Parts: sequence; C-alpha cells; structure tokens
Amino acid sequence: MSALASTFYNALVKRNSVFVPVIFTGAFAFSVGFDIGITKLWDARNQGKQWKDIRAKYIEEE
Amino acid sequence: MATVHLSKKAVTIPTTVRTLSSGVPVAPLVNLAARGGHDAHGHGHGASGPRSDTPARWAGGVSRTSSGFVSKTFQYSPVTGIHQKSLMHTSAVVRDAPQVPDFSKYEAKDPSTNRGLAYLMIGSLGLLSASAAKSTVTEFLATMSASADVLAMAKVELELSSIPEGKNVIIKWRGKPVFIRHRTQSEIEEARSTDWKSLRDPESDEARTKKPEWLVMLGVCTHLGCVPIGEAGDYGGWFCPCHGSHYDISGRIRKGPAPLNLEVPQYDINEVDNKMVIG
Repeated sequence: MSALASTFYNALVKRNSVFVPVIFTGAFAFSVGFDIGITKLWDARNQGKQWKDIRAKYIEEE
Repeated sequence: MATVHLSKKAVTIPTTVRTLSSGVPVAPLVNLAARGGHDAHGHGHGASGPRSDTPARWAGGVSRTSSGFVSKTFQYSPVTGIHQKSLMHTSAVVRDAPQVPDFSKYEAKDPSTNRGLAYLMIGSLGLLSASAAKSTVTEFLATMSASADVLAMAKVELELSSIPEGKNVIIKWRGKPVFIRHRTQSEIEEARSTDWKSLRDPESDEARTKKPEWLVMLGVCTHLGCVPIGEAGDYGGWFCPCHGSHYDISGRIRKGPAPLNLEVPQYDINEVDNKMVIG
C-alpha cells in the first residue's frame, strides 16, 4: 500500500507539469467514458421504446 | 592618627522595640519560619528539628498579619460513620504538555500512504471539475448552433438519375438557387484542360467537384448577387445578365466584373442510392 502510494506520488504528482496534464487527459477520458456509460444505461433502461429499436416495424427497406 | 574601624557585628535586639498605641507590640521583622541550629546549642531542649509538641499546620498556628500576631486554632469535628472509598482517582497523568489532548491514536501510521491518498483525492476532484467545466462550456456553445429541425430543413436531397447528361437543374436551398449540372465528357475535359493557374480566382476543377460529372454551385453571381443564366456566355458556362460576368463550365469567373468563382456549397453524393444531399 505504501509502495503503491509512493509510486503514484512520484510518477504523477511530484511535478506539476505532469500532474496537471494528467488531470486534463483524465478529465477528457472520463467525460468520454461517462458519456458512453450513461448512453448505454439509458438505452438499456428504454429498451424497445426508442425509434432505433422500433424503426424496423415501420420502415420496409426497398 | 586615629583610625576608624568599621566592623559588622550581629546584634540581637529585642523584636519588640515599639509599641502601638493600642498596646500591641510591633515586631515587623520576626521570621516565623526561622529554625534553630542543628546542634543542641546548650540550653537543654533535646535534639534539633521540628518540635514534637508543635501542633500541625492544619490544626492552627501563629501568623503575622498587618494587625499583629494572630494565633488560630482550627477545630474539626471528628469523622464518624462510614468512610466512603473514592474509587475514581483524579490524579492527573504526568505529560509533557498537559493541555494538549493525546492525538497519538490519530497519527498517520504511514505518511506516504496518507500523502498518496490526499493527492489522489485532489487529483480526482480536479478531474471531475475539469470534466464538468468542459461539459458546461460545450453544452453552452451547443445552444448557439442550429437546432436539429433547422438543420433538417437546411438540407436538400435530390435524385441524380432524374437529371440527364448535359442538363442544368436549379433548386432552392436555404433561400438561394443552386445550380447542378450533369456535365458531359467533353465538358469535363474542357474544364480540366483549362490553365486555371492564370485565372482571376485560380481554382482547379478537381478542387471544385467531388465527382467530375456533377458540378454543384450556388447560383449567385459573386459580383452583386444576381442569378446567372445557364448555358450562356463566351465560355459555355454561365452568364450574369446584370453586369456581364462570364463563367466557364466549371463555374470559374473568366470575364466581367465578378471577382470570384461561383461558390461551391457543402454536398454529398450517395453512390448507392444515386442521391445527392446538399447542405
């Protein structure tokens, strides 16, 4: 535990020039992942109610 | 010659050299705490030390006050009955700094773990705030862009198979005319073989078309905004009747007052459905 914490501190936190970019890239990755996750959750909760689920019933492909 | 000998000599004088008008003798310099010598200094009172017959301090005693000697004797009623035991002892534990509570229980067992955790928390908060700030800004900017219904209205779809080769079609898109020409092979060759680098607004035909047989342009003269006439002019393209600008078969300005080529809008050609979407 202590070794892990020390590694984390030395690798990411020690220099601000590393810490701040890590935060920003992490924020970018987090927002993308959060978006995907919430969309998946929404689709799962609304299975069969959205247009993309019922489109096949109303539109026949020529 | 007479010499003066100054000598210091201890002189014992009576302690009461003065008497108040009330008759009380004044003894200002009596040291009640003075003890006798350690030796049995020759007047027969046994060993030195505290007198055995002196009452204890708590029982009273003699003290000197501003109004003279006071002798007090305290009387205590004898303790009878049950002696209660005081089970909770109140004696304080001796510490270095008695006012400070003992925080040793809360001290970090390992400072580096604490530090790592603290910075992890700081970083996570920063990450979440940065993400929230980014979302706020992008969502706010998204409110400025056109809404979906406006964008849907802003697109025009048309069937390409309905336009025969060598024909012009003029459609309305966002309130402006759009020229679509299905060019013949000879027209393509003519447009591409032109030395475009010497033109007023140098632009190659390859840059102006996505597929060589389909030429799509805004039908607004770049001079003053008239609508040019198709299949007219000296260069076999378009001719603006207002001030006489001649455009070639690629829509490039060749002659007349217009400064720029006819503008090419955003469009996409769907090869599978043979459809074109402008916008």
